[in-house]
Amino acid sequence: MLNVFVAGLAIGMVFAAVALMYNVMYSTSKVLSVTTGHLSMLGGVFGAYAISVLHLHWTIGLLAAVLVGAAFGWITELLGVRRILAKSDEHLWLLSTLALATIVQQLIGLWWGTEPKPFPRLIAQDFNAGLLDQKFWLPIGITLLMAVGLELFYKRTMYGKVFMAMSEDPFAARARGISTDQIRQMSYLLSGALGGLAGFAAGQLTFAYFALGLTLTLNGFIALAVGGLGSNIGALIGGIALGLLNAFVSHWFGGEYQQTMAVGLLLTVLLVKPEGLLGSRKLRPV
Amino acid sequence: MSCNFRKLGLVLSLSAGLLVTQACLGDTLKIGWLSSLTGPLSSAAIAENQGVELAVEEINKSGGILGKQIELLTRDTAGDPTKAVNFAQQLAFTDKVQFVIGPVNSGEGLATVPILARAGIPNIVIGSLDELIDPVKYPKAFRMINTNRQWISTANDYALKVLKKSKVAIIADTSGYGTSSAKSATELLEKTGIKPVYSVLVDPNKTDLSDEMNKARAAGADIVMPWSAATGLLGRVLNARGDMGWSVPVVGHPALMAAQIRKLLNKPEYWDNTYAAGYMSTTYMSDGKLPAPTQALVNKVRPKLGGGEIDILFWWVALGYDAVKAIEYASKTAGSTDPAAIQKVLESTKEFKGVYANYSWSPTEHNGFPDSNMTVNAANTFKDGSFKLAPH
Repeated sequence: MLNVFVAGLAIGMVFAAVALMYNVMYSTSKVLSVTTGHLSMLGGVFGAYAISVLHLHWTIGLLAAVLVGAAFGWITELLGVRRILAKSDEHLWLLSTLALATIVQQLIGLWWGTEPKPFPRLIAQDFNAGLLDQKFWLPIGITLLMAVGLELFYKRTMYGKVFMAMSEDPFAARARGISTDQIRQMSYLLSGALGGLAGFAAGQLTFAYFALGLTLTLNGFIALAVGGLGSNIGALIGGIALGLLNAFVSHWFGGEYQQTMAVGLLLTVLLVKPEGLLGSRKLRPV
Repeated sequence: MSCNFRKLGLVLSLSAGLLVTQACLGDTLKIGWLSSLTGPLSSAAIAENQGVELAVEEINKSGGILGKQIELLTRDTAGDPTKAVNFAQQLAFTDKVQFVIGPVNSGEGLATVPILARAGIPNIVIGSLDELIDPVKYPKAFRMINTNRQWISTANDYALKVLKKSKVAIIADTSGYGTSSAKSATELLEKTGIKPVYSVLVDPNKTDLSDEMNKARAAGADIVMPWSAATGLLGRVLNARGDMGWSVPVVGHPALMAAQIRKLLNKPEYWDNTYAAGYMSTTYMSDGKLPAPTQALVNKVRPKLGGGEIDILFWWVALGYDAVKAIEYASKTAGSTDPAAIQKVLESTKEFKGVYANYSWSPTEHNGFPDSNMTVNAANTFKDGSFKLAPH
């Protein structure tokens, strides 16, 4: 039973990392980008490519994963979000980011191949380490670090406070002289870098696989909705809950019920507490 | 330089003129080829495409079919049933092809076979799902690949009769293919009086299979039979078995032998004691040689693949090659490409000699692949596109 728990916790933490990335981008743009999971997919693929194909040290691989993630985050903002937000209040960003996500997935499929490929071992460890295997603990540890880092960033740094200000009221932030376009771009860069890092850390668990992005986008969104949009602790709780639910449903009832239960969890939370477990309900004064 | 450009221009103009003339005169035989050259299962499609293109090239060089050159209309479905449907309609009603080969994936085939049946176009089916063939509903669809049941029966026979195992654990994925295969595998085992000690469906992207493998061991399984084409899932089954130090044999889907699996394994020895349903035509005989027709095709294809060792599953190449050759045989025997005449010829075909297999079809049986060409291979013996026989 402990192995079900650890395996569920590990993948749940990957979902939580994606939910955290949603939060970072959402805070400055109010956009839930479909490319979010793809940022992590890129981290896994480019990390594996740098280490296994180019035979670079894993630290260079990590750097490559983070840089590629950040670059795609920047591209997402530039092509999928900025002009859409400038021209329309409608949720057309859903289509533009979906288009970008599809393009990047297809391009990676053509270049990297459509079969999953292995992600190299980062720390010397035998494969029979069981529950202490790095494939479980790396994503768990990195996601916790990401959550703590983001909390410190928001509370202790000027840019973090600017992110928060934009999240609260972008018009007031702009009136105070904040370059909202620049800050939004920064948030997408940051989210992309975090995505690359998360994908790299989870590579041994997920393999380097071109089709991973959409799965992470969907599960990260469920984790976010369950935990509460905008709450980093909520993202962690939502991700862990989803990962454990998937693992235990699969253990007790079989994999055929896994997706049904995951989406059922989302539906239940939306019906009972639409703002999520730790989300705040915003009241508009009239 | 300018002279060369003029020559090139002249050649291109003549070629274009030739093509236009041929098209205007309608003197080509059009074959639609629904191939998922990109997307999931592209590795199978890319290999099949080698065989298809080689056969077309050979036939055209030797004068074509009934005096007509073959015009191959390749359409990349990317493994997407929606695209496959659109391309099938385009090939049938706009391009007006005489034959269609494919699609590669059974899921796409479920969508396109009825369309091509309505259009009355002979369809060479290369998907293994049983439902793709029905002589009443789809009278002009003829299968050249084995059925899924042939894979399962072959693996079951090996597990029960050769390895003498009876406590079977079935692990399949939650896709339509996996679910259907798990059901068929259970039914076929139960016909022999064996009830699986453990059976489970898992999400093909599940990141760790140690829970399922622990349960299989706890249930007393002495053999594990995975039914999935997802290499990631199969790699994780073998990794879980190896990491837990369990020496149980694994016998199942041919994807267990795919070269991609080798790369996903934590240790190369995790591939030992793993067997999968395969084909006599791509199995090294006791003298270490391939059957002569297979070797001849290997020799023809090797230069096109770079001249080195072949790193794709060669049975796909042979299947693609045979599909075009079957069209040639049917058209020449019928003396026309009239669909009714083609159907009549194929339904009376006995032992049409191909590389992948010798095929027979009848009015009531449109599955042409013989049981006699099925065998079981040792997964870790891949060499030059083929395998060694599993221990018997």
